[in-house]
Amino acid sequence: MAKWFQCMKVVWSNLMVYKTNFILQSISPLFVFLFIKASLWTAIYKGAERVEIGGYDLNQMLTYHLWIMVVTLISIGAISQDLSQDIRLGRITAYLIYPFSLFEFHFSGFLARQSVKLAIALFTLFGVVLALKLPLSVTSGGWAILLALWAGLFWFFLNYFFGLLGFWLEETWTLGVMSQVITYFLSGAIIPLELYPLWMQKILFFTPFPYIGFVPVKLIMGSEVALAQAFAVLTLWIAFIALCGYGLYKRGLRLYTAAGM
Amino acid sequence: MIHAQGVFKEFRLYKKEAGFKGSLKAFFSRQFEIKRAIAPLDLEIQRGEIIGLLGPNGAGKTTLMKMLTGIIVPSGGRLSVLGCEPAQRLKYFRQRIALVMGQKSQLWWDLPAMDSFLLIQKYYEIPPKAFKDRVEELSDLLRVSAYLNVHVRKLSLGERMKVELMASLLHEPEVLFLDEPTIGLDLLSQKNIRDFLFQYHQKRNPTLILTSHYMADIEALAQRVVLIIEGHKRFDGSINKFENLLGHNKTLNFTFAQQIKEFNFFSPYSPRWNAGGKAVEITVPEGELRQVASHILAQYPVTDFSTQKTPIERVLETLLNSPELLKET
Repeated sequence: MAKWFQCMKVVWSNLMVYKTNFILQSISPLFVFLFIKASLWTAIYKGAERVEIGGYDLNQMLTYHLWIMVVTLISIGAISQDLSQDIRLGRITAYLIYPFSLFEFHFSGFLARQSVKLAIALFTLFGVVLALKLPLSVTSGGWAILLALWAGLFWFFLNYFFGLLGFWLEETWTLGVMSQVITYFLSGAIIPLELYPLWMQKILFFTPFPYIGFVPVKLIMGSEVALAQAFAVLTLWIAFIALCGYGLYKRGLRLYTAAGM
Repeated sequence: MIHAQGVFKEFRLYKKEAGFKGSLKAFFSRQFEIKRAIAPLDLEIQRGEIIGLLGPNGAGKTTLMKMLTGIIVPSGGRLSVLGCEPAQRLKYFRQRIALVMGQKSQLWWDLPAMDSFLLIQKYYEIPPKAFKDRVEELSDLLRVSAYLNVHVRKLSLGERMKVELMASLLHEPEVLFLDEPTIGLDLLSQKNIRDFLFQYHQKRNPTLILTSHYMADIEALAQRVVLIIEGHKRFDGSINKFENLLGHNKTLNFTFAQQIKEFNFFSPYSPRWNAGGKAVEITVPEGELRQVASHILAQYPVTDFSTQKTPIERVLETLLNSPELLKET
């Protein structure tokens, strides 16, 4: 455990060095919300603010997107470019030598970043609740954060998996961006899932995507959510993708050439 | 300590013709070729030995080192280091080896070296007291106490290499792999690193496997030399035996008062003249040393001369140019 904590401390120290970059990365969703989502939905509802689209009037739609911003801050992290680049440039060599594996290193880095993002998200959450006097139940808010953290774990394993493709592919950046775009669409981060066809919604709830954005937001907004199903589906997906990542790592290492050494 | 039997490594190389047409062709049908980086190789290394791996660029030295450290997986053969198969990367194995890469930093670039050391302390589970003692001892030996709290990116190459070495020795590895540890360093820094490694070996007696293009590193440290050319082990023996591979020759250097016009006498001794023709280096069989030196001293306007055994650099250069000489050894 001491290894993990020390590694997290080093990652925190490193975040301090690149603090401007980290702060910008953390507050960029706020800009996306203010400059894109808020103005887009306000334009769509113009003159018909009380009309409901998929069960949302303008205020509800804006609240939904405000919570999406907070939730995805925890559940969606950085894309996998670092790992695949490290593999391609032979920078993972040190972690094949240390008695602390590449996975342990990446996972403790994830925990370090996630803890900071969680703090930012909680700060924003309470700030929003107090400033806009929005209703929030502590229990459902707590479950929503927990579910978002669990979804963050899935997102980490998914990106770790994409990063490991660097053993085979020269460039995985496009894959990372594609997965991010698809995730945004299917998690309800762009439009609420109620606006999707019913058959698609049914399928989606067996995938990990709704639990990355839509479901935690609905919890915060006071809707009834099948929590047990949410955690069960997400856990199965985490186990599946983690197992795939493990297999990929084992196979990929046989191809590793430690370039540049 | 290290046993290799018939170990070899093959890589699949992607081939592409130059230019856009080549790229387009490769896009639809990729062509690969198998390159054998290391031919089946046997190697036995005992505890505490210092081995110099020699060979030109691309000969396979680093590939061999990567296999010995478990970074890459051999394509075949049997390999055992410290009783373990390196490619399995067992924790027991990883806790007992270290690798220093002259061309790659293992430290956190944007943090002081001490932050990386503290991380390494936890990785290797070094008790706090032992860690403190080792940091003190190594920083004294390497004279880096003043740099430990400076960001690594702000250190000079020589200073960085010293802290890299320190980082790799904190857990007192039983086998230390050094891949060009002095590359890019000035002469004084090179010497400092060599002296440190020598002292450290005397004190702790780890096994050192060293690759370097600076023969001074090999001469100063290695007791045994393994020469690899085009993936084949072409020589494995003591450094003295290696130095005498070309026979028991001596190198003579002469400086003359004026340019020498008549140099037929020097021709049989592989002369190397300087640009002005006023200095020459020749290689003379030990038995003829007295006679050749007397002749030159008597017949030419010599202002200075010196003699030495054939430098290892010259031996290596000759063997790389004429590998067939090795077949006779």
